[in-house]
Amino acid sequence: MSRSDSDGTYVESTIIMTTVRVVAPFVFAYGLFVMFHGADSAGGGFQGGVLVAAAVLLLAFAFGIDATRVWLEGPLTRAAITGGGAAFAFIGLGAVALEGAFLEYAAYGYGSTGTKYGIELVELGIGAVVSGVLVGLFFSLASGDFEPVADGADRDTDGDGTGGDGT
Amino acid sequence: MTTESIAFTAILVFTAFGAVAAIALRDVLNAIVAFASFSFGISVAWVLLAAPDVALTEAAVGAGITTVFFLVTIAKTVRPGGDRLFERIKWRPAAVVAVLVGTLLATVGSLPAVGAADSPVATSPVTAYYLDNAYTETGVENAVTAVLAAYRGFDTLGEATVVIAAGVAVLLVLRQEAYV
Repeated sequence: MSRSDSDGTYVESTIIMTTVRVVAPFVFAYGLFVMFHGADSAGGGFQGGVLVAAAVLLLAFAFGIDATRVWLEGPLTRAAITGGGAAFAFIGLGAVALEGAFLEYAAYGYGSTGTKYGIELVELGIGAVVSGVLVGLFFSLASGDFEPVADGADRDTDGDGTGGDGT
Repeated sequence: MTTESIAFTAILVFTAFGAVAAIALRDVLNAIVAFASFSFGISVAWVLLAAPDVALTEAAVGAGITTVFFLVTIAKTVRPGGDRLFERIKWRPAAVVAVLVGTLLATVGSLPAVGAADSPVATSPVTAYYLDNAYTETGVENAVTAVLAAYRGFDTLGEATVVIAAGVAVLLVLRQEAYV
């Protein structure tokens, strides 16, 4: 856990850290609820995905962006984005393979229950895409190199988000 | 006036106040907070108009995550100095905005009343079909979800693709080579 981020915007605060520690799990759970329960109440993949991303952003605000980035490092975010999009597309194309129309859930042969679970899966896929992209956008913005960079020169090749010049 | 219309008027006034404040305040941080309150007002208005799905989206995206993105962005930029509370109004852009707002306001009179039974949306056979058949055909109780994920699922796949494309585009523009 870093005490200060590379640009010095992070200030450790016991109040914020304690609040986020308590609130973040509930925000995360509510996001999943909105995603899963979108079929029967207000909500769906887009809204739920935003809420899940908001839980991650809360952690970043409380514990520092760099620390949260280290915690999230790895293929998880990319896997969520590509996996979610692919799940949606393959559920649609699977119906075509079973001689239905694109996304015709009834083609899977489970009746309206199958349609409902198909819709839930699609919503989950959308949620994964949205939460992954928003988390990625946040870290890109938070550590993006906004200086105009000449082609091929001074890139952030080490992936630490601090830019090639180490500022 | 009924309680509901008083509440609706109050929330519209609050929203308009937030919008004007977001434009007029000079300090960017103040403007961002005003913009968040504007989004919050819009989201409450959607609730009062019985559109909880849209309200949830506006609250999560408009008032929530967009505000965070703006805050992160201004942390990376320089704020304009000076002690003035309000931005000086530039008259030429203000005239363009006034013309646009006037044009839009002129169309308000031809909109159907809120909840009117003879509005094109309420009388459309497509609406009737969704309301009659969404539950028996898809098994989901939220007709909005049935339309989004089943009847118009292909459109929704396009939306998800747009979100993915936006993520990729930002990575390209910011020249980041690591995602997260």
